[in-house]
Amino acid sequence: MGDATQQETFQSLFDEFQSSHPDITLNANGIAAGDWATFGNTVSTRIAGGERVDVISVATEGQRLLASKGLFEPLDSYIDRDSDETQEFYDQVAPNLKKWIDTYGSPDGSTYFVPGGYNTVVMYLNREVFDAAGVELPETDWTWDEFRSIAETVKEETGAFMTTAGAAFPFGEILPWLFTNAASTLSEDWATATFDSPEAIEAAEFVKALVDDELVPQPGGEFDGATQFQRGSLATLTGGRYTLPDVRRLEMVDKTKIVNFPHNAGPGTPVGWDGWATFQASENKEAAWTFLKWMMSVEASTYYAEQGGTNVPARQDVASSEAFLKNAPEGTELIATGIEFGTPVPSPDKQAQVDAEVTKGWEAAILGNKPADEALFAANEAMQELL
Amino acid sequence: MLLFLVFVLGPFVVAIGLSLFRWDMLTPPEFIGIENFATLATDISFYNALRNTFAFSLASVVTHLTAGFLLAVGVNALRSAVASYFVRTSLFFPFVISWAAVALLWRYVLDPTFGMGTYYLQKIGIPTPNWFTDPQWALPAIIGIDWWHTVGFTFVIMLAGLQTVPAQLYEAARIDGAGALQRMWHVTIPIMSPTIFFASIITFIGAFQIFDPIQIITPNGGPGESTLSIVMYLYQQGFEVFQTGYASAVALVVFVIMALVTALQFWFSRKWVHDV
Repeated sequence: MGDATQQETFQSLFDEFQSSHPDITLNANGIAAGDWATFGNTVSTRIAGGERVDVISVATEGQRLLASKGLFEPLDSYIDRDSDETQEFYDQVAPNLKKWIDTYGSPDGSTYFVPGGYNTVVMYLNREVFDAAGVELPETDWTWDEFRSIAETVKEETGAFMTTAGAAFPFGEILPWLFTNAASTLSEDWATATFDSPEAIEAAEFVKALVDDELVPQPGGEFDGATQFQRGSLATLTGGRYTLPDVRRLEMVDKTKIVNFPHNAGPGTPVGWDGWATFQASENKEAAWTFLKWMMSVEASTYYAEQGGTNVPARQDVASSEAFLKNAPEGTELIATGIEFGTPVPSPDKQAQVDAEVTKGWEAAILGNKPADEALFAANEAMQELL
Repeated sequence: MLLFLVFVLGPFVVAIGLSLFRWDMLTPPEFIGIENFATLATDISFYNALRNTFAFSLASVVTHLTAGFLLAVGVNALRSAVASYFVRTSLFFPFVISWAAVALLWRYVLDPTFGMGTYYLQKIGIPTPNWFTDPQWALPAIIGIDWWHTVGFTFVIMLAGLQTVPAQLYEAARIDGAGALQRMWHVTIPIMSPTIFFASIITFIGAFQIFDPIQIITPNGGPGESTLSIVMYLYQQGFEVFQTGYASAVALVVFVIMALVTALQFWFSRKWVHDV
């Protein structure tokens, strides 16, 4: 998935595999989707059109849905058979990630996905804007009140916006506010909508106040966050490791510091991960498994991390290594450690429809098209019907 | 004939069949009879999409025909060939730009924070709404952008029609003492009526299929469902939530509506379109 740059990174990784396994022919097929929903739609359409693939990378948002269709090969017997190679990998996978993949990525207790990597959400702070505003950079954690107070000072002293607000990308724009206020869109088992909780409403009202007071640009326009961050018109960028390529491209690595997303009730972040699966219909299952085993290796993980991958490697040894941390802002390790207090991005079977309701409700609330409680209540009702 | 079978008749027949199934594209289709149509009858989003599409189409037909006609009359009256060429090119130019580029361009122009349009309107004291996130303004904004992009096409059709009006009819009317407005009403419009009719048909059909600018400017038909069009709804059902059978049912209903409206236009045309 992703743009040309991301696909280039993946291709160079696959070239590495190809050079060490010349007996296997690997034809990588990237899908230029901006989000996982579009990726899932494209894949489904291609499969429906009769296209045969051997291996696929699927994000949290599509894992349960696709696994429940019986498309994938259970991997347990392969993992057990080659435990000499796989055990070392699974020993390095963060316990939370292992637990979540088993809980949410399997409809029947079988293992369908090999963890690839994950993402959390942090804040990239522009040191120059903070300096110009005469505000000290927070250490690692900060509260919503501190965030708001700094936003006011930054606006007053420099004219810069504090961050951006929107609803089109729930992972980065909605869920961090909910999860740092002990709220969520769904219950832990993704069976009940909880988008109208007092904590969720409080989060929406907090963001609405940022919009109303012009501490963030008006949602709905073409505000280019990364460029404005470089120009000093934006004090922070919200994102995961997927934001790093922009920061590198704009030569902002040394001028940036990463801290956790500001919290109210307590630290929180959404966590999304990707997993590699093989298709039952594949005629090259052993070759596909060889590829998946190679993806588990330190070599592959390190190579991808170095090439500027857009997520945190599943292997903790690589996620804490120089390969992951070099040429990245101070505090980059927080993207990896966020998994300890993060919450899986809610991804029920009807993810696309539920997300659309979440987006609609949040948008109406932060723009003031409806009172926040009314907007989230209406969205919650629609979500519950879908569940 | 083969192309017609493969790309028109075949998909049409398949769509009719699919509308009777529940199919997510990944697992085998399940026959459910007319359940998709029954669901459609109580689907609020479908009605919202239909209402928005009719509002857009009506506004589109009225504004395009009126402006296209008046612009054509104005340009036709220009005496300077150079000026006429320049104005014709200027008016038609936006139409050759792709919808994607037009949509992005206007998102920049009307950006609530940095937009050039917003800036100048505020500069002269006109308060601007947040065009694309205010449910009351999002659809009118898209109607306005569509007008800017497409009116050149209607203008060209009208201009071509206008140039077929025989000069001797104007001459005769002038000799009979008809003023400019009377000549317009009694000569130009009757002679132009087949052209106006043709333009109304293609404008309506084009407007009813609106998708690109909405997808780019107000993704998902937002805010709320204030810009959700019927074709976008069809796309969402078919390719975002995997309800292919349901999307086929929507497609069939859209086909029937368009056929009915076009038939009505033809029926009414007998009352006002002149045989030339």
